[in-house]
Amino acid sequence: MSEEIPAPSPAERHRRSNRLILAGLSLLLVVFTAAFYLLQRGRDLPAALVTNRVLLFVLWYVNVVLILIILFVLLRNSLRLLLERHHRILGSQFKTKLVATYIGLSLIPVLLLFVISQQLLRGSIDRWFSTPIERILPLGSKVAQRLVVELEEASARDAAAVLGEVVRTGGAGPEARRGLPRRLSGWLRERGLDYLAVFEGTEFVQGTIGEKLADLPDPARTVLREAVAQGMARGQSTLPSGALLVVAARRDAAAGEAPVVVVTGRLLEAELAGSARQLIDAAQAFRQLEVQRDDLKASYLLIFLMMTLLILLASSWVGLYLARRVTVPIQALAEGTRRITSGDLDHRVEAAADDELGVLVSSFNQMTSELAASKTQLETSNRELVTANQRLGTERALIAAVLENVTAGVVSIDADGRIFTCNRAALAMLRQREAEVLGRPLAEAWSDPERRKLAALVAGAAPARGRMVREVQMILDSDWRTFEVKLTRMTSAAEGGPVAVLVLEELTELIQAQQVAAWQEAARRIAHEIKNPLTPIQLAAERLLAKWQRGDADVGQALEDGVEIIVREVRTMQGMVDEFSRYARMPRPQPVPIEVASLVGEVVHLYRDIKPGVAVRGSVAPEVGEVQLDPEQIRRALINLIDNAIEATDAPGTVEVAARKDNGHLVIDVADQGRGIPAEAREKLFLPYFSTKGRGTGLGLAIVHRIVTDHHGRVTVEDNLPQGTIFSIELPAE
Amino acid sequence: MACALWLAAALPAAAAEIQAVQTTVEGEQVLLSFTLEGAFDDPLVARLESGLPTEIRYRFLLQRDRKRWFDADLDEATLTVVAMYDALRREYLVNVKLDGKLLESRTVEGLDELARVMTRMERLAIFPLRPSSDRRRLLVRVRAELGHKNLLGFIPTQITTDWVESPKFRRPAEPSP
Repeated sequence: MSEEIPAPSPAERHRRSNRLILAGLSLLLVVFTAAFYLLQRGRDLPAALVTNRVLLFVLWYVNVVLILIILFVLLRNSLRLLLERHHRILGSQFKTKLVATYIGLSLIPVLLLFVISQQLLRGSIDRWFSTPIERILPLGSKVAQRLVVELEEASARDAAAVLGEVVRTGGAGPEARRGLPRRLSGWLRERGLDYLAVFEGTEFVQGTIGEKLADLPDPARTVLREAVAQGMARGQSTLPSGALLVVAARRDAAAGEAPVVVVTGRLLEAELAGSARQLIDAAQAFRQLEVQRDDLKASYLLIFLMMTLLILLASSWVGLYLARRVTVPIQALAEGTRRITSGDLDHRVEAAADDELGVLVSSFNQMTSELAASKTQLETSNRELVTANQRLGTERALIAAVLENVTAGVVSIDADGRIFTCNRAALAMLRQREAEVLGRPLAEAWSDPERRKLAALVAGAAPARGRMVREVQMILDSDWRTFEVKLTRMTSAAEGGPVAVLVLEELTELIQAQQVAAWQEAARRIAHEIKNPLTPIQLAAERLLAKWQRGDADVGQALEDGVEIIVREVRTMQGMVDEFSRYARMPRPQPVPIEVASLVGEVVHLYRDIKPGVAVRGSVAPEVGEVQLDPEQIRRALINLIDNAIEATDAPGTVEVAARKDNGHLVIDVADQGRGIPAEAREKLFLPYFSTKGRGTGLGLAIVHRIVTDHHGRVTVEDNLPQGTIFSIELPAE
Repeated sequence: MACALWLAAALPAAAAEIQAVQTTVEGEQVLLSFTLEGAFDDPLVARLESGLPTEIRYRFLLQRDRKRWFDADLDEATLTVVAMYDALRREYLVNVKLDGKLLESRTVEGLDELARVMTRMERLAIFPLRPSSDRRRLLVRVRAELGHKNLLGFIPTQITTDWVESPKFRRPAEPSP
């Protein structure tokens, strides 16, 4: 299984491309240099000159390549910047300024340095050739050359003279040759020559040498041939002892004979010859330099130009690199900002930077991540809110539907005390139209005396929070209506929403039904109560009649007993009738300010020691003070409750009467330690003629309920744990 | 444009001039004679006397003459005359090469003789010319290259003369069988 080779990154491709270009240019340099070298070698130039030309060529090549590279880099980047500016790419203006600043900062001083240095160099080179050496070296060379010329000219004169003597003495013929060595030696000494020889054409005849030469030298054939051809020739032979300057002179010969050639030579001693040679060479070298002055200047100029271009290339490259390092992250940040502005919060800036820009990039990415997270969270919250709103809308519609269809009247009240909602049942119960109540203050919506009871309940008598239940009776359109009113304060009401809800339950029909049932029970009880005394009366009367018919002796006693029974039962019936009469005649309460403590104390005092073993105690909280009450009716209600409590409590026991204030209400609790009241009996407890004792009229608690209700209060019953019952009277106290 | 004009003006124009170009057809050879006038100016003399090898390169083009079109190149040749001064001997060694082959090597004394050797060419056998039935007109163009100068101080440019044409001539006729 072969592993896939990952594609190189753009930066890696760029580096490879640069390496290839560099390698290609280097290869071209080598090839061109080799070709140029071979070309120069083919021209039979001295090695030094070839080297100079090759070096010049290399410098040229490098300079041209550098110029091309710099032009390419600058042009490419300039074009890129122009295009970026044209397309209004973010950050292009900043990048242009930065690049221009970098290049300007490097270009101006480098060019200045180049111009000044090359001028200095030209001046220096010119000064080299204007120094005394320019005059001295040629003079020295001329002196050396003159020395050679003098020697050669002397040799030439000697050669001509010796040639004349040779010819005069018979030439180089066989006869003349016999004395020739002697004569040659004489002429050699006489003329101070170091070498003297006679040739026939190029053939050696005779020769002699002076003391300075060890062996007879062989003059160059070219000199001889030239002398034969042209009559006179000169040459040099390099010997270990120095340079032998030779001059060959020819005398024309007769036809068919070889011409006589005399060769004279003077030795330029090695030291002198060397010095002369050095002088001449130095002068020539100086002349060559002078001739090549322009090439020399050009080569130095090219070296300076190369250095300048290298510095310029490096500085331009560094400038562009630094500009890129600054602008690339900034451009990436600007692009990132644009992308984020357009809503792409998943965009991250990938620009590599390890300085403050790196911190900026990192912070930007972190900010983007946090923005993305916040956006996600907001979207989630928004979705949840939408869902909740939809649910709330559904629930609201459901509640509205329920409210519109429930039989209970529901009225909500806002924080300003205005009616927020009022369902159809409530409008029907209160016999109002929606326009009369919705959005109106309670005092305005329920301004009449009867409905004002509800407004008062909400405004004053209601607890600050929690739930309150009252029974309210109102005369609406001449109808006596009874409502159970439940007031609920909302603990977490929304701003502008309802703060309290009033639920009205129509109790009129229920009460009427209860009253019918109660009256039926009352009729049954009345019949029973009436029947109870009637039976003894009937029995007493029948007994009297029987005794009288039988004529018993004790008829008189029986009569007395019978009458006594009849009278007693009639009285019982009379008491019963009086009780009913009082209940029926109960007047409406007449409230006056009364000190609750004294009222309670007075009532409790009545029952002190009334039942052995059962203590009756009273207590009133200090804050209770005076309350508007009908004292007679409240006293009667308390008496009824305390009567029942004492009766229910077995000795030893305690009956406690306690008064306190609670949320603007006076609460009077009457607690006993009796047997308690079964739950099923509590619903009927306050109905007339209902009794759990199996005796009495059953009107006591009904009277209590009537009195308390007439005071716009309520009476409740609950267990007195661990034993007994608590009756609580709750009355408006403000 | 101004820069180009300035550069053109700065180009070195040789004062030397090829003159008296004559051709002679002898047998199968075109013999060429001409002189190069004005070549031995001070810089060239200074260069010669400095002992540096100094060359004059002659370019030859054998062309077929066409009246209404560019002349067609038939052959080309290069004659290089290199002189180098030996200051000790006070003589100039002159090598003459035709297309890289050494024709002559000699020493001359004195600038006058050197100038004559280097700039006066007599009956140089440059182009072989076989007889042909195609006897249209031919000509030889000559140009001399006299080393180089540095334009603007560092741009090397060749110093050349203008091309000079010889009188037109024809191939020799084929011998009749």
